[in-house]
Amino acid sequence: MVIGKTMLEGIFGNIIVEKILFTLYVYGEGYPLGMARTFEEPVNRFQQQLKRLENAGIIVSRLIGRVRVYTFNPRYPFLVQLKALIAKAFEFLPEKEKDAYYKKRTRPRRTGKPL
Amino acid sequence: MKIDWQKIGIKELAALVSEKLRGEGVDSILVGGACVSIYTKNKYQSFDLDFVTHAAIKEVTALLAELGFQRESSRHFIRRDCPFFIEFVAPPAAVGSEPLKGEKKLKTKFGTIVLMTPTDSVKDRLAAYYHWNDQQALEQAIMVAGSQKIDFHEVKRWSEKEGHIEKHRQFLKRLRSKR
Repeated sequence: MVIGKTMLEGIFGNIIVEKILFTLYVYGEGYPLGMARTFEEPVNRFQQQLKRLENAGIIVSRLIGRVRVYTFNPRYPFLVQLKALIAKAFEFLPEKEKDAYYKKRTRPRRTGKPL
Repeated sequence: MKIDWQKIGIKELAALVSEKLRGEGVDSILVGGACVSIYTKNKYQSFDLDFVTHAAIKEVTALLAELGFQRESSRHFIRRDCPFFIEFVAPPAAVGSEPLKGEKKLKTKFGTIVLMTPTDSVKDRLAAYYHWNDQQALEQAIMVAGSQKIDFHEVKRWSEKEGHIEKHRQFLKRLRSKR
């Protein structure tokens, strides 16, 4: 057993990349500040790795208002295989971690309703 | 040969870049919107030249500097007096989940361009339509299909594999209405 390493970190060499890939796998999209807040990490760490993944053609981004939103690149030729790997790794993620980071409300909430 | 960088055409610039790289043993292939411009004789005008190469970006940077193009960000290059923007996109050269089916060589007075085939160019544009519903990309696919000889069986086979047969039907319908 590898102590202190997370599942995909060994392959991607970076814990932030694992968090990004799991986020995009679970929610379909994500933005740097949202991820930084969720994982309580500095936003520049996410920006840096998102840029790197984008340069590699693995993810793509679009501006929505002033927010840059990232998704997997549907045209990435190894996307099916990459998602299969992420899905497998996600299965092994401790339930506690899944509950904390990957089960956020995604259904709509009408404007003005209290949180 | 004196080059007017402000008035240079996309085909000429693509040839200059291709030749420069090839001269130093760097293979590259032109993909994306620039191929649409070339295949439609600028009916669609792209200002981006997207190349794919397996060479290191550092090596490409040094060669493009000899043509006066400076690295603007990680993979983008510009020359102040030239309207075009050059990008080296990450390999592999692919359309959807498949590698490109061959390449086309186009001779110009500035040298030879290696670019994706017209059929792959149509598939490349359709990929943007299929995955992002990009209507401009659909128009571009129709333009290329209307200007070049295309292997329509191959486009259909690939579309089925990508899981977008209904959008493929829309493409054919729009293409027929334009003819």
